[in-house]
Amino acid sequence: MANFLIWVVWVVAAFACLASALAVVTFRNPFYSALSLIGNLASLAVLFLLLSGEFVAAGQVLVYGGAVMVMFLFVIAYLGDRSEDSPWSGGPSWQVVGAVLAGGALLAEVCVVVGLKAGGLLSSTEPVGRSFGSPESIGKLFLTDHLLAFEVTSVVLLVAAVGGVVLGAHARALESDAGA
Amino acid sequence: MNAAAWTCLLLPLAAAAAITLGGTGISRRVAGYLATTAALAAFGAAVVAFVIMLGEDPEARAHTTTSWTWLSAGQYHFGFTLLTDQLSVMMMLIVAGVGSLIVAYSVGYMDGENEERRYFAYISLFIFSMLLLVQSGNLLLLLAGWGMVGLSSYLLIGFHQERPSAIAAAKKAFVMNAFGDATMALSLFLLVQHTGQLDYAGVFANSPQGGTVANLIALGLLGGALAKSAQLPLHTWLPDAMEGPTPVSALIHAATMVTAGVYLIVRCHTLFENAYVIQDLAAGLGAATLLMAGLIALVQVDVKRVIAYSTMSQIGFMFVGAGLGAYPNAMFHLMTHAFFKALLFMAAGLAIHAIAGEQDIRQLAGIGKLMPFTKIIFLVGSLALVGIPPFSGFFSKDSILASALAQGWYGILIFVAGLIGTFLTGIYAFRLYFIVFTGEPSAFAREHFHRHQGKEAPFSMLWPVGALTLLAAFGGLLQFAPEWHPLSTWLDPVAPPLVEPTSAQEWLGSALAILAGVSGMAVSWAIYSAKRARAPKPVRLFEKKFYWDELYDLIWYRPADLVARGLYAIVEKPLILGSLSAVSEGAGLGSRELGRAQNGLVRSYALALASGLAVLTIVFLSAR
Amino acid sequence: MQGPDIQWYVVLSAILFTTGALGVMLRRSPLIILLSVEIMLNSANLLLIAFSRLHGREDGQVFAISVMAVAASEVVVGLGLIVALGRRNVDLDVDKLRTLRG
Repeated sequence: MANFLIWVVWVVAAFACLASALAVVTFRNPFYSALSLIGNLASLAVLFLLLSGEFVAAGQVLVYGGAVMVMFLFVIAYLGDRSEDSPWSGGPSWQVVGAVLAGGALLAEVCVVVGLKAGGLLSSTEPVGRSFGSPESIGKLFLTDHLLAFEVTSVVLLVAAVGGVVLGAHARALESDAGA
Repeated sequence: MNAAAWTCLLLPLAAAAAITLGGTGISRRVAGYLATTAALAAFGAAVVAFVIMLGEDPEARAHTTTSWTWLSAGQYHFGFTLLTDQLSVMMMLIVAGVGSLIVAYSVGYMDGENEERRYFAYISLFIFSMLLLVQSGNLLLLLAGWGMVGLSSYLLIGFHQERPSAIAAAKKAFVMNAFGDATMALSLFLLVQHTGQLDYAGVFANSPQGGTVANLIALGLLGGALAKSAQLPLHTWLPDAMEGPTPVSALIHAATMVTAGVYLIVRCHTLFENAYVIQDLAAGLGAATLLMAGLIALVQVDVKRVIAYSTMSQIGFMFVGAGLGAYPNAMFHLMTHAFFKALLFMAAGLAIHAIAGEQDIRQLAGIGKLMPFTKIIFLVGSLALVGIPPFSGFFSKDSILASALAQGWYGILIFVAGLIGTFLTGIYAFRLYFIVFTGEPSAFAREHFHRHQGKEAPFSMLWPVGALTLLAAFGGLLQFAPEWHPLSTWLDPVAPPLVEPTSAQEWLGSALAILAGVSGMAVSWAIYSAKRARAPKPVRLFEKKFYWDELYDLIWYRPADLVARGLYAIVEKPLILGSLSAVSEGAGLGSRELGRAQNGLVRSYALALASGLAVLTIVFLSAR
Repeated sequence: MQGPDIQWYVVLSAILFTTGALGVMLRRSPLIILLSVEIMLNSANLLLIAFSRLHGREDGQVFAISVMAVAASEVVVGLGLIVALGRRNVDLDVDKLRTLRG
């Protein structure tokens, strides 16, 4: 019974994931695309939960959904309606064909590889305890094994923040010139 | 003796080198004097050699001297060998003697030319080459001299480089001579194969006697002789060679180079006697040439061309002599011909020089009145040419005719041809004399005639001509076959004649020849001087030189041109040029197509990334 | 474990990645391209979490968090650029933004 429920949840979440990803790529209005991405993020969070990654799921919703997507929506709102008339056209003639071929090839390759080569490795899942994926264990890992990654990531965030301010300030300086 | 031989040979070469290296540092006059001095000194050395030889035993007069081994391959060794014997000393005297007179004449004739130094360097080179040819001790060195005289001839015919006709004539001469050189080389190959050497003594002793090989050897040598001496069928270059300056025509195309063929036959007479068919062929071709050239000379209107065809005809006589085996007679005629033909050319040169370079006899008509000295010497030369006693041509030509009489039915045929030839000579020679040197001067002549400081020509041109006049007048007295023959005795150890005409044949031949010559002169006088008879219309066949040029154009030039054009269109242009341009165009095309990947679009770059990733995945997977 | 095996998650991640890649290669608006990049990053995250569960170690999740942080920084800079472009009334069309061609 529990297994069946898990399967159902998985199928629904996967379907929602795929549908929203497709929506992001096909909508003409960027606003709708951004909203679809939020849906994608949410379904991914559900999948993370299924994989015992509670902290990551929470972080996904908070960081991605709460911060990144909000920023996106702000910018889209600021820029106004930039709906494209023909989103798929333009570029060299071989673009569409080449893109579909390349994408298809990648997909096929992954499936083939997973099917042929790595099938045996993926069958045995380790049993995990209750504390798997809890904030404590993740925090412990960050501060012991992956301390360098932790520090570097914070530096990256700092740099991004500075960059955002600089890009925004440039615009403000121009604006004040134009206004005065 | 050897010192004299080397001096004679090398002095003209030294002069040529000195003039070339001196360049514009030496004045033009100095170049002329250098060349003249070298030629005179070479003549002096030849005289020394001659005098020394006179004091030697007739059987022991052949001296060879080798300075170094020139070519050494396996068991074959060829040295840079000089042979000084009776025949070569005779040729040395003629070449250096007449040559130095002509070079002295050129100092005056070429005065004022811009390229005078080049002329004297070339002519010194020619004298060296001709001396090398006659002094060589083996056939290989002879071939080297042969080729070098051909080269000098090419350089001097094309001396006036700005004239396309001169360049074309030079090329024609060289190419025809190259054909002769090739046949001679083939002969030499056969000789090396069958005798293992090319020294005269060795070759003559060991070469095959009779049979196909002997015939081929003689035929190859004959081919070279025909080309160099402008006999049928390789004769078409000689009239065109008159594009060169007149002293060149006198020296190369009358006195010396064109007689090299005769010298070759006399020198290698043993090889020709081993293949008597070829020797008879030589006599026959000589007879045919002398008739044909005589007929063509009847209608030519360029004074130098008339004399050129006359040369062709007279060399035909020499070939008749050598072909019948009368070697001393042929050499005697070679010597006297050198005298009177050079004289004729130089006298014509005096007239041409005085009338601003005009050569058409209709324009030159009547100039004898304005140039009496030239008129007299031209008369002497013409009488010698026709063979009127006591001038030199009589003695030499008649001895050849007498030898023909002594040779059986083939000889009688040739004798008749020779008589007709003499008759024709009388006509054309005196046609030239009467038109150009008698009668009233033409308007052109009167207008353009100019004297050089009161005389007809500068002294530097007059004294050589005078010396040649004396030689042409009295040179024949050297040998009068029935009575005294020092020349035959001199040449006997080297080239014993095959036939000795009797006294009766000699007198008969001479009488008939004089008759033929005088009747020719009379015909000419009737038409051109006393105007008793009307001049017949020129026969088209003779004017067109028997269509030989057209024939050669048809059988050699046109097919070669066709083949060349065809190969160009089929092979060279598409394959060779095409492949080169294909390479460059391919590179361009490739780079242009690759350049289209740099279109600046982010999406294309993203596609490139994705495709690369897809390909690399396959690569890594298959590698594992 | 109950539920689908890891292969399912791998295939799903692959399809998501392909979708994001197609979006990058085929759309003209830089905003949508940026969103497609986010999809690709998220698919990678999914894969990381799945394998972390397979092996029973949280290192994968730690990596995924770092990826999220980096993605956020990248979005900041990208949107800053797009805003700057938008202020200058430049057409937001990557086909027109090609002055950096080689």
